[in-house]
Amino acid sequence: MLTVSVKWQKKVFEGIEIDVTLPPYVFKAQLYDLTGVPPERQKIMVKGGLLKDDADWSAIGVKDGQKLMMMGTADEIVKAPEKAIVFAEDLPEEEQATNLGYSAGLVNLGNTCYMNSTVQCLKSVPELKSALSNYSLAGRSNDVDQTSHMLTVATRELFGDLDRSVNAVSPTQFWMTLRKKFPQFSQLQNGMHMQQDAEECWTQLLYTLSQSLKAPASSEDSDAVKALFGVNLRSRVHCQESGEESSETESVYSLKCHISHEVNHLHEGLKHGLKGELEKTSPALGRTAVYLKESLIDSLPRYLTVQFVRFFWKRETNQKAKILRKVDYPLELDIFDLCSEDLRKKLEAPRQKLRDEEGKKLGLQPKSSSKDSDVKMTDAAEAPSNEGGESSTAAQQEGASSSSEKGTHMTGIYDLVTVLTHKGRSADSGHYVAWVKQESGKWIQYDDSHPSIQREEDITKLSGGGDWHMAYIIMYKARFVSM
Amino acid sequence: MAPGPDPNSVGDGAKRDEATTKVPSKDPKKKDDKKEEDLSEEDLQLKQNLELYVERVQDPNPELQKAALESMRQEIRASTSSMTSVPKPLKFLRPHYGTLKEFHKNMAESDLKKLLADILSVLALTMSAEGERESLGYRLTGSEGDIGSWGHEYVRNLAGEIAEEYTVRQGEESSIEDLMDLVQQIVAFHMKHNAETEAVDLLMDVEDLDLLLEHVDRTNFRRTCNYLTSAAKYLPGPDDMLVLDIAYMIYIKFEEYPNALQIALFLDNMQYVKQVFTSCTDLLRKKQFCYMISRHGITFELDPEMVENDVDREMLQDIVNNTKLSEGYLTLARDIEVMEAKTPEDIYKAHLLDGRASSGPSADSARQNLAATFVNAFVNAGFGQDKLMTVPSDSTSGSAGNWLFKNKEHGKTSAAASLGMILLWDVDAGLTHLDKYFHTNDNPIIAGALLGVGIVNCGIKNDCDPALALLGEYIDKEDSSVRIGAIMGLGIAYAGSQNDQIKSSLSPILNDAKAPLDVIAFAALSLGMIYVGSCNEEVAQSIIFALMDRSEAELGEALTRFLPLGLGLLYLGKQESVEATAEVSKTFNEKIRKYCDMTLLSCAYAGTGNVLKVQDLLAQCGEHLEKGDNHQGPAVLGLAMVAMSEELGLDMAIRSLERVLQYGEQNVRRAVPLALGLLCISNPKVTVMDTLSRLSHDTDSEVAMSAIISLGLIGAGTNNARIAGMLRNLSSYYYKDASLLFCVRIAQGLVHMGKGLLTLSPFHSERLLLSPTALAGIVTLLHACLDMKSIILGKYHFVLYFLVLAMQPRMMLTVDENLKPISVPVRVGQAVDVVGQAGRPKTITGFQTHSTPVLLAAGERAELATDKYIPLSPILEGFIILKENPDYREE
Repeated sequence: MLTVSVKWQKKVFEGIEIDVTLPPYVFKAQLYDLTGVPPERQKIMVKGGLLKDDADWSAIGVKDGQKLMMMGTADEIVKAPEKAIVFAEDLPEEEQATNLGYSAGLVNLGNTCYMNSTVQCLKSVPELKSALSNYSLAGRSNDVDQTSHMLTVATRELFGDLDRSVNAVSPTQFWMTLRKKFPQFSQLQNGMHMQQDAEECWTQLLYTLSQSLKAPASSEDSDAVKALFGVNLRSRVHCQESGEESSETESVYSLKCHISHEVNHLHEGLKHGLKGELEKTSPALGRTAVYLKESLIDSLPRYLTVQFVRFFWKRETNQKAKILRKVDYPLELDIFDLCSEDLRKKLEAPRQKLRDEEGKKLGLQPKSSSKDSDVKMTDAAEAPSNEGGESSTAAQQEGASSSSEKGTHMTGIYDLVTVLTHKGRSADSGHYVAWVKQESGKWIQYDDSHPSIQREEDITKLSGGGDWHMAYIIMYKARFVSM
Repeated sequence: MAPGPDPNSVGDGAKRDEATTKVPSKDPKKKDDKKEEDLSEEDLQLKQNLELYVERVQDPNPELQKAALESMRQEIRASTSSMTSVPKPLKFLRPHYGTLKEFHKNMAESDLKKLLADILSVLALTMSAEGERESLGYRLTGSEGDIGSWGHEYVRNLAGEIAEEYTVRQGEESSIEDLMDLVQQIVAFHMKHNAETEAVDLLMDVEDLDLLLEHVDRTNFRRTCNYLTSAAKYLPGPDDMLVLDIAYMIYIKFEEYPNALQIALFLDNMQYVKQVFTSCTDLLRKKQFCYMISRHGITFELDPEMVENDVDREMLQDIVNNTKLSEGYLTLARDIEVMEAKTPEDIYKAHLLDGRASSGPSADSARQNLAATFVNAFVNAGFGQDKLMTVPSDSTSGSAGNWLFKNKEHGKTSAAASLGMILLWDVDAGLTHLDKYFHTNDNPIIAGALLGVGIVNCGIKNDCDPALALLGEYIDKEDSSVRIGAIMGLGIAYAGSQNDQIKSSLSPILNDAKAPLDVIAFAALSLGMIYVGSCNEEVAQSIIFALMDRSEAELGEALTRFLPLGLGLLYLGKQESVEATAEVSKTFNEKIRKYCDMTLLSCAYAGTGNVLKVQDLLAQCGEHLEKGDNHQGPAVLGLAMVAMSEELGLDMAIRSLERVLQYGEQNVRRAVPLALGLLCISNPKVTVMDTLSRLSHDTDSEVAMSAIISLGLIGAGTNNARIAGMLRNLSSYYYKDASLLFCVRIAQGLVHMGKGLLTLSPFHSERLLLSPTALAGIVTLLHACLDMKSIILGKYHFVLYFLVLAMQPRMMLTVDENLKPISVPVRVGQAVDVVGQAGRPKTITGFQTHSTPVLLAAGERAELATDKYIPLSPILEGFIILKENPDYREE
């Protein structure tokens, strides 16, 4: 009979007797009573290793009064979770892409940054993407020619590739069809394809898409692109000499921001752009006379595109020269005072609503004293769910058909979503880069194949005035309010 | 060395000085007169007297001669006390030196001749030409009177001449007995007059330090030993050992046992360590010795001769075995209030980065989770609690409870092993936590549990040998990952123990033709760790055979580097002992030959500061080689290993590495950041930090990776805010590069290691002692980092756990006589080098007063701010036992 003490975890069990004639299994059973650790999970350290169930005590050489150490727990054995964990590294490529929170860049095929940045900007419009995905050969109207069709399909494919891929996508197919459709982009210089004007690419691409995406019925409403980007202008043409006055309407895809000496801010540039002089034959005078044309916005698009007119043809140097003047633009644009009277009236109510909501968000009481408190209560309850950003995303889901139906209304207030910048001294040289705001609110700079995250405050610094990237085409997204 | 000032120049200077200063006091009319007339009346008188004596000395009448010599001596002695200028009598006698010399030559042997020789000896102090050693010559023929009576300057001059004479005579092999008599006198004089450094210098010159023992006394032995130990760093072998031997003997003589023990440990002389125990009779002091030994991390068995009482011995052995380390560490943590567990997110501090703060809930990335596992392990090391692994597993929550399964395949090994790190040093709790992982049938998890057992037991010895009992079972299992886990666990748990049982079970693996390469590599490494610095022949043979058996293809594998490294570790710091093995290594396949050569050389001379080896290694780094040669990496690391021991050499090495960086080939550049990391481990020097920060953006991703890991190493356990900021920025810079981001995460974990309570520095006890196991751990990691892609970024990331060997609390914890922690005020400040300084200089500067336990940063030193207690060791680091001061009176 031996007496030993056994240390288990932090406890010491003194004076445990071992009957050396019985196998160690019996000793383990004794310990089971004391510790609750089943014998098969007990590990008892003795000299030279662990105590085996069938070992011979005499061979082990345990001495009287020796301290033994036991390891073992009655805990549950660790089991792998039933649902295996999926690791990002194992995911297929497209799912890895969504993990990043932004899509891939585009490979520069040799002076194609103008095209890459244009594609990245347009791709950020989800409605355009969905319109493209609905496009099919069957649905195309007969007045769309083969090349336009091919370009539309190529655009759709490219957008899809960008969403699926983690690594930079090579837009070879798209580029080929673009050049086929618009041979001017195939210009060569020293055996290389020349740098092109991004604005031209933007306009042409959008025009092609608008043609091909027109619904077969070819009704005005079903022009998806127009609904998204089209701005209706009502102009008053006035001839001072004759006093003639006429009005006309037109639809454009972008507003121009003219840059002159007085223009320091986007707003001033836009105003400038909506006024113009033109010479035409005056029926009253029988000769050409100077007419003054003043335009106002008659209907608002979901996406308002503004082009800074930074390039002009310089005759002396025979090239498109660039105006480096700094023109500030806001992250939030209000174009109320560029609207026509009718439109203003329509906008007033939604704008009031928006102001109220914002006021509440800041904790201010709405000014309206006439409303009774019940109304206020409901207002307050609704407010948080209808905050600016959310309501506009809600609006996107409803499709691009109409902006002012089913409770969501335009407010004339726009948020900046993409900036296409140019760096360099002339339109046909330098470098184009796209800066796109993601749904998460993050800004991504797409410098060809390298997307990188940017800070919002740096986006407004692209306003020119130096040799840094400066905004060339910017796009705003309408803010809606639900009534 | 304290060379005497050039006598002539001093004389001239003094003369000029005298002339100018005395001018204003002179009568204006004498201004333009001859120089002689510038003298004051007193001086004139003296001059005339001396001239008279010189004449009289040459007088045939011996009586007159004697009287003249006596008077001359009187005059000289009376004025030699001042050292600022040449004494006047000497100055006035200068013109007569030649005459007296001539006269002395022709004198008959007599007392008078000796007397004159004495005077000439003194005069030679200023007159003798360089290298003539006339002063010494006359001294030897002189009357051998009290040497000090001629003044300090004379003795110093004489000492210098003796050293020269000694070298000459050594060359001629002539007798030096007469010199030694003089040395005796000079040493005695110096030791009495606070000039210990000069005495030591002289004795070192004449190679007879033993003399010192006779002359040290209670007042000067400390300064003497201080000088000896710091001089040892700059002496070539074997002189350095000799010097330390003397220092040891002096300490023992004056019962200054802690210092004696320190030197014994430095010399790695167990006989001396034992002698310290047998010489000391005080049990409490022996406890302090045990704490010192435990910090050094060597295996040491007390025997009845050292401590008679069995109960006492067991208690002391417990201290040596480090069983109380966990407790002390937790006391420190509670006192500093850092017990709260930290999550990896607390370390990453992503909210401080703009832009990418909210990446959103994306899927689990195995790579990032693995990084988080390591960060969690390093940060919560030794605290016994964390928020990923030790939280009770809750089947419903699924998130925290099953962190283990958020790691993929081999990642699970590191995750399970991280439990060992979290419960570091707490064997009982650690084994309890790890137990449940032994019962799964998931091999990587079992491997991790085995490794975890090894980590928990790192530096702790237990009578029951739980690690050996548990791990021994798994060494020969089928699955190689399980085998590696067990083998590496043994290596960590028994590093430095020279355990025969493990050797007999691991050695066969090395020469097993069927064993996979990775198992063999880890077996070699573990054997190297267990027998670190032992020069064990048998183990060396096994590893050498294993290396010879490798096929050409295997030699190209990344893991093969662990074989030469294992071999090198056997000779860590053992200098020449490596030579036989180095010879053998020349016969290896050329693919590994040079690599092996460099590794052996650098390990053998690690921590010696040997300048010649540094030059050898630098020459290797400077070569521009064909592609495929990989030995320059270990050469660069070796440079750091050899130079790291001593401050001056360290600074020089940092500067040379800067050059290497500029002119070296790419594979050299990749190793440079790692070498910098080793040189400044846990010591974030700003210059090195800047260099590494620059390199962390290098276009070569491997340079960047090593720089990032090194940033972690130099900041390890410091919580250094600047490095933390750099790493945070790097984490956003390398956001998209998973490998580099992984490195950044690891580095972040290292910087916050132990929440800032740990250090990786292998040096301790005021940077004198180098813990061999700690160095082995770091060097292994660095060698693994030489091929980051295939080892740490591959499936052998758990080699990061080798760092545990170097992890030690950077604390000073005071305990009372019952070993219970007590709090006393201490001053903590930058350490000042006071070797050879006069008086009682302050040993720290810029100090702050705290109460213990306190943290000590690199280069800091503590001193007690109260007289109430007496520390039992003069080196205030780690555990310090305080004894109440019987003379203390409350004010």
